[in-house]
Order: sequence, then structure tokens, then C-alpha cells
Amino acid sequence: MLITKLKSQQELDRYFDKRVFIFKCYGCSEIYFPEEEVNKLIKEKNEKITGLVEIDYLCNEDFAKKYIEKNTDEIQNAKGIIVFSCGVGVQVVAKIFEKSMVVPGCDTFYLNGFQGLTVLDCDCNQCGQCYLNYTGGVCPITSCAKSLLNGPCGGAKNRKCEVNPEIDCGWILIYERLKKINKESILKEKNYFVRDFEKIIKGI
Amino acid sequence: MIDYTKYKLKPADELKSLLKETSDVFILWCKKCYKAFEKEEESECQKFIQMFDEPEKIKGCEAIDFLCNRYLTEKKLAEIIGLDHHDIGVLSCGLGIQTVAEIAENKGVRVFTLADTIPQSGNATSVTGYHGMALGSEKCASCGQCYLTITAGLCPIVGCAKSLLNGPCGGAKNEKCEVLPEKSCVWIEIFKRIKKQGRNFDTGIQIRDNNVFTTDEKRKVSFFSIRRRTENFYGGLHPSENKDITENLTIEKFPAPKYVYIFLSQHTGSPSSLLVKEGDVVKLGQTIGKSSGLISSPVHSSVSGRVIGVEEKFHPTLLVNCPVVIIENDFSDEKDASICGYVEWEKMEDEALVEIIRDKGIVGLGGAMFPTHVKLRKPKNPIDTLMINGCECEPYLNADNRLMIECTEEIIEGIKIARKILSVDNVIIGIENNKQEAIEKIGKAIERYPWIILKKLNTKYPQGAERMLIKTTTGRQVPEGGLPLDVGVVVLNVGTVFSIYQAIVHGFPLIKRVITVSGSFEKKGNFEIPIGTPLKDILDFCGGEKAYDTENYYLKMGGPMMGVVQGEFDTAVVKGTTGYVLLEKNPAGTSEENTCIKCGRCVDVCPMELYPLYYAFYGKNQLWEKCAEYKVKNCIECGCCEYICSSKISLISLIKKAKKNAYNKA
Repeated sequence: MLITKLKSQQELDRYFDKRVFIFKCYGCSEIYFPEEEVNKLIKEKNEKITGLVEIDYLCNEDFAKKYIEKNTDEIQNAKGIIVFSCGVGVQVVAKIFEKSMVVPGCDTFYLNGFQGLTVLDCDCNQCGQCYLNYTGGVCPITSCAKSLLNGPCGGAKNRKCEVNPEIDCGWILIYERLKKINKESILKEKNYFVRDFEKIIKGI
Repeated sequence: MIDYTKYKLKPADELKSLLKETSDVFILWCKKCYKAFEKEEESECQKFIQMFDEPEKIKGCEAIDFLCNRYLTEKKLAEIIGLDHHDIGVLSCGLGIQTVAEIAENKGVRVFTLADTIPQSGNATSVTGYHGMALGSEKCASCGQCYLTITAGLCPIVGCAKSLLNGPCGGAKNEKCEVLPEKSCVWIEIFKRIKKQGRNFDTGIQIRDNNVFTTDEKRKVSFFSIRRRTENFYGGLHPSENKDITENLTIEKFPAPKYVYIFLSQHTGSPSSLLVKEGDVVKLGQTIGKSSGLISSPVHSSVSGRVIGVEEKFHPTLLVNCPVVIIENDFSDEKDASICGYVEWEKMEDEALVEIIRDKGIVGLGGAMFPTHVKLRKPKNPIDTLMINGCECEPYLNADNRLMIECTEEIIEGIKIARKILSVDNVIIGIENNKQEAIEKIGKAIERYPWIILKKLNTKYPQGAERMLIKTTTGRQVPEGGLPLDVGVVVLNVGTVFSIYQAIVHGFPLIKRVITVSGSFEKKGNFEIPIGTPLKDILDFCGGEKAYDTENYYLKMGGPMMGVVQGEFDTAVVKGTTGYVLLEKNPAGTSEENTCIKCGRCVDVCPMELYPLYYAFYGKNQLWEKCAEYKVKNCIECGCCEYICSSKISLISLIKKAKKNAYNKA
């Protein structure tokens, strides 16, 4: 899942030093998009803006092109293009307008569970060699701050991770889960994993 | 289009050693997401069963779409986990496995992982980039510090095998990457593009800060999203409200029309039968069509004048030609003798009150136009709650909102009448919190009546639908295919309650209502309008010339979500008209032709917990029985799926077709 956050005011002010055309994507608004902040900014900088396209799923090039066709004049009048969307949308617009300066208005962040549906508490690192069989369905790569595969680091205090005291120690969660299904013994049997990064690079 | 295969079976020997510990296992498999939905299904499960040499261990298998959707998966698993299977094997990506493991945790069920997740993007080292919604080749690693300004819109993090930020490594040969020779060096491409723009690459060193967005911040955002997505009821969404356009405009009287077109069918059920003929003189409020069955409702003349004909005109919601009585207004407003109110209604019999409500042609004004007297007749099931629906969750509309602000006392009086008829104790009024003024007014007015509870609800579409409102306010779940009556609730719209008051206390039949006119009209507002006012009068009065420009605009009766597109303008206001919105067409409109990419958004937002993507897939292939299998009849046509669809498939029209065709044969 991607989420976006507006770039710093300082940086945005720099983009608005000339007349610009705006793309505003609300495609993932049900996930998270700083809509209010963007609207406020657009209102503030109104006189610098030659035109605005509000679009959903800017990342779909076919749709984007249709909107662009309709706004050709405004885009030609502008000296730059600012895109408020995730990095994918910016790249689509940049590809279409190779000869103009296309700048992103947002920074994009990674949020748990991006490929599935509802934003989840669990996450998958797509390591290509699922360990969940041995860890009771709690992923050690994503729930342990150190992504340890062979057991806890020993640094947890009061169940909490020593790296990020806000989160529970993943390995304690794993142990508790295994206990519930009476399989703690797994931890004794399988105690040696090697993570093969080549799987990630080659996409298995 | 990239085929986004999400997982792959583990190697045979690993599976074998894994499953030797178990004696019986139930297989769950996910049908995968983010791929062009063109084939029926590719069964990874079949592959597994063929490969597995101890088939007697497999006690069954079931496919679940979007296994990572916890809410739906939990519901489906409730049946499976309850059975005597000792273990569950899951074929899915890591998200699905973790979800199942979490659900199965407390039942002591062991969950086996039978597949490995194929690395995708988000994992910056992965070759396959993040796809956005469109499954193109564009990539984003969500690094949180977008460099695209500097690099002319080509991302060096996912584009360069080494994720270099300050220029090429120098290892490229013939413009190809030295790590992956089949790929072009992205830095060379960046330089080419910068050159095309007439710029130089003159920015200094870039440093990547991998902790630019702290875990706390992420959690906050994540929590915000989860709360918004899951509060009140499953599914639903938050479209732009645009209510501020007409929110503060007081209800205006619409100028009396020269002619009115009164449709004989203005309600759910059989059309009323005609009582007048050409040349008849009718008075204001005179019955011109009487109800013709148990579920039916009479219609009345909304003006005084002469009947100049009975013709067929295009019905705004049924979208076919329907008989309509055309009356020429003499502007005298002479009232019919039947208009006489009962101020002392409290002394009347319940039956008599229901009779009046039936005779005055009261129907649900929220849009469904279900005859109100049918709802109020003493039902078999005991009723304990009367729910007053003041949600008006549709964007743009403010008719109910203004009514609550301006006619508060009348609404309360109407509630008292309905409460007496149903003899219930509890009355709940549900109002969304974007209508602060209405909440204040109603809140003040009900202080005298401790039995009325006002519920302020967080805005979410489609909260105004009966089922969702009941779920939100009482936590009760109307059973599949059931009615609110089944959980002891009767739901009435505020507009309906107001017209009950008008009918009982003043004797007025339902001949006028409040509508909102908004969008690209010149004159926007809330109007009290006689039923039967021709649409053309509204377009003239409110400056809706753009509506005739059907290339660029479309006119919807009702709100933008559930409203019906009006292609024919020779029609009129009916009892269920909540408003008219004139909207600019999207350059990239919806179409039945686009291909579904299985992003699962429609499943995520469907408040009826359906799988709309299958209606698109089977609808296009005309496999209507399959649509019936996926329970298309449960769809309330709220339009959430079409709104969120990343491929802009016109799902609602396909669903309507499916509903028509799926149940005919049976």
C-alpha cells in the first residue's frame, strides 16, 4: 500500500515560482491522501495555476491521456507541471510530457499490506521463502525490527522491542502463537534458517 | 500488462516433509489479485493436489477471494474452522497466510504455508516494480523523499539496479545495466530526458534517509485509514460531499408550473388506476389515480385545473414510457373537499390513521418510494424501534437537511404520529455529523421527549441505506434477503415523516416535496416543488441549459451516487425525486469494455459484502447464472463499486442487467 504526504512548504513554494498546471489524483483517497492540505495549497496559490486536473487513478496512462487532451491549452500555457499523487502517477505524467519539467508535490511512503485489501496490521516482505510454517503465522521478517529468523535477540523489555518500544517483540508473539497450537517444539527442531536474497533479486 | 502472480507452490519435497506431520488438512487458496481478470480461474490448488502424493489427507479445498480481507475471510472461515479438520493449508501470499493464522489462532488450528510469495515491489530490491492501479511498468519504491524532480520523472531507486542517487555507476555497456544486461541503464535515460528539457543535471549529492517517515507517523496514518474504513459498518466510502453549495439556502417555493405531468406509477408496486379522463376539471389534492393492490398508492393532482390528456411519457426512474395525466394549471389553487386535517389525531384509532396515510398517497421520500402504509400496518414481528433517517449521505443533496432545519416541529409531530401507530417506545433519529445545524435544531426540539434518541453519525456513504443505518445505530444485522422488520425496526425518512404530519394534521396528500438542485446549474437551491412539475420547467428556471449538452454533461435525478441519469428531458418530478444534479462528464468515463485488474477495491467497499468484480466478469460473458451464484440480488445498487473501480467498469449497468437476467430462467 502506498500513502502520500505533502512535501515541505519550502520546497512547494519553490515550485510555485512560475505558472504551473496541476494534476491532483484522488485514486487511493479511500486509503490515504492529504486531500485537505492539497486543496488548501491550491486555493492559496490560485493565481499561479493555469489549470487543474482532478483525476482518479492517474497511474492509468489511458485515463490520464484523456484528461490531458481536454486541457491541452492550459498545459501549454504553464511553465511547469506539479503532480499531487504517489510516485507512480508522477512517472506516468513525466513520461507523457517528456519535454516539460514535471515535479512531484508529494512524497510517497510504504504502508503495511500494500498489495492486498484493507490496510492490515500484518505485512509481507515478499522474501520468496515463506517462514510462516515455523513461526505460527507471524512473520519474523516484518514483525521483528531486526528481521531475525532464528529467535529473539534477547533485547526485549516487558514484551516490547528494544529498537521500537512501541511495538511488541515479534518473537514473543511467535512463541505465544505456537504455544496456543501446542507446537512450541517447532522452535527447537527448526533452528537454522538462511535467507536467500537472490530469490528477491530474481523474483524467484 | 504485467501478470502479477503473487505466490508459487513450495517445492514438492518441502511440501512432503511439511505435511507428513498432519493426518488431515483442509486447503484454502486465494484466487490472487492484481492481474488482468480474463480467465475464469487458475487453480493453484489443482496443481497442489496433483503434486501431492497422499491425496487421502486432503479433506477438502475452498477458494476464497482476497484472503487478506480479514472481515470477509473471518466470516467464511467460521464454517470451515468449526469442522473437524485438524489443520489448514493455505495457498496464498504472506498476507493471506498471516490473516488465516490470526483468525485460527484461538481455535488451536495449525496453519500450513504451502506457497512462497513471489517478491514484488515495495521491496526495493525486487525487479518487478510497483504497479499503481494500472499494472503498467511504472514503479515506485515509496521511499518517502521523492527524487523525481531532479531526475525528470524517472525513478533512480527502482530504475537503477544499485539504486544510485547521484549518477550512473559507470558500469553500463551499450547503455545496458551491468547487473541486469537486459535492462537499460536508467541514469542514461535520465540524462537523455533532462537534455530534451534543455536542462543540465547540476544538483548535488542526494542522501537517502531511510527513516524519513517515522513508524509512529505511519501508524497514525494507518490507524486513521483503518478507522475510517471500518467504522459503523463494513464497506462504504467517503466521496466529496459538495453539500456546502446549497447547505445554507433556505427552501424556496418553486413557481407554479403551467402544466403538470402526474405519473400513475410513483411508488414501488402496481401502478394506480386512472380515475379521470380528458376534459375533467380537477381540484388541488383531488385523487386522480386510486391504489390498485396491497402494495400500491394513490396519486393526486398537485394543481387545480383541467385534464388535457392522458399520455405516455418517459418515467425518470423506471426508464420506460408510462401513462401520465397532464393537467393544465388554472392557478386558482382551489382545494379539494377531501383536504381536512385532524388536529386531535391522538384520539384516533391507529387503523384510521394508517388509512389516511394510505389515501393521501404517502410513500418513502428517500428515493425508494415504498408505500408507507404497508410499513406501518401492524407487522407480525414485534417492532421495538422506529428509526428516523436523516442521514442524507448522498453528496450534493440537502433537501432533508433543510427540512430538518426549517420544519423541525412538524417532523417531531410526524414522528409522534408514526410512533403511536407502531406503538413503539424507542425512536432513534440518525443524522450525519456534516449537518451541524440540523443536529442542533433537532437536538433542541427533542429535549421535551426523552424517548427520542438523537444519534450523530460519522459521515460515510451509504449510511442512509436502511441496512447500514440499522447496523450503525443499533448494531443489528438485517438478515440476507430480509427486511428491517426482521430485526424489529421500521425506518422512515425525515421527508416521509413530514408528509405524514401534513397528511394527518392538515389533510394534504403528497403533492409537493423538497428537492435540491445543484451542480452546474446557474441557480442552485432547495425548492418546494409540486409533484409533476415538468423537468423542462426546472431546467428553464434554474438555468440548466448545459443539461442539453449531453456530450459534456449529464443530469442525474437524485444524487451523483445512486441517481438515475436522465437522457430524456420530457419528464417530470415524481414523489421519489430527491433532487437534480448536473455534472460534468469525466473525460475518461466508465465503460463496460475495460478489463478488471482484480484490485479488489470493489470488494473492499461493498456494504453488502458482495464481490462486484464477478458481475463485471460474468456479466460481460453473459453468464447470468454465475451472477446469481454470487448473490447479485442482494445488491442495493449504491454505486460504491463503480465509484472506486480502478478500471472504470460500469458495474451498476452490468449489475442491473444481471439482476434482470439471472433470475428469469429459474
